[in-house]
Amino acid sequence: MGMSGGSAAGNDKSEGQRFSCKSKLTALVVDNGGVCRATQTALLRSYGVETEAVETGEAAVELIASGATFSLIIIEMLLPFMNGPETAKQSRAMGAQSKILGITAFFDERDQQEFLAAGADNFIEKPLSPEFVIPIIRELDN
Amino acid sequence: MERNQMRRQLALMRQSFFDQGFLDEQFIQLEELQDDANPNFVEEVVTLYYRDSSRLILNIDQALERNPLDFNKLDNYMHQFKGSSTSIGAKKVKAECTQFREYCKAGNSEGCMRTFQQLKKEYAILKRKLEAFFQQARQAGPLETACRSRN
Repeated sequence: MGMSGGSAAGNDKSEGQRFSCKSKLTALVVDNGGVCRATQTALLRSYGVETEAVETGEAAVELIASGATFSLIIIEMLLPFMNGPETAKQSRAMGAQSKILGITAFFDERDQQEFLAAGADNFIEKPLSPEFVIPIIRELDN
Repeated sequence: MERNQMRRQLALMRQSFFDQGFLDEQFIQLEELQDDANPNFVEEVVTLYYRDSSRLILNIDQALERNPLDFNKLDNYMHQFKGSSTSIGAKKVKAECTQFREYCKAGNSEGCMRTFQQLKKEYAILKRKLEAFFQQARQAGPLETACRSRN
């Protein structure tokens, strides 16, 4: 297929090249939706970020408990059983110093407060866009 | 049909999806992620979307048959549905998800049921359009130049 004809705002292309991080950055996507995991993972990898994806908060916490570290963790708000904020809270309690981004299908101020209080750095509505993620990657890269 | 003509038709079909409000900018983001290493990324993600969301639709249909409705459960289902619809750029479906959620919050059963019927309609229309699009794209064959360079 390979047709892109639309606008590519935020992709920071110069001479047809896509933005890519300079350092070795890693990310973890935590989302119970397969499509969301696939698209967020693909976006981060396209910028050179080594990205893993898990379906549950429990799986994320287990990974971190096993010693895995990530530059960036993106956590869906409404996860089954252990929700997003709880996942963030437990990750921080284990000493995770990652940038934590809470993400949701429907933005709600109470959810935002809950996520930030749990230790997240930002909270946004889906989709994860280049306009939002490129500045974060640049910040982590520096 | 001559290949260039097929590609022109394909481009017109694609543009109509945006002009008629079926798809938004997020679909273009998916196209940007397609390259030599992932030449069928968009179709794969859309196929995944229709597979996963068909289960969600079934769950929501069943939940809407209960009396009284469990609005919390419906809200959770719709949260996931909207998340994945947003991720492929399904603009009209996404709008119906938002409307449905408003009715959920208001505890409006009729509103939920009516909106869900409309949602399923938009979902099916988009599915048909995208299936036709991908089928024609396969017939037209890949373009000579990749979407983007990885250099």
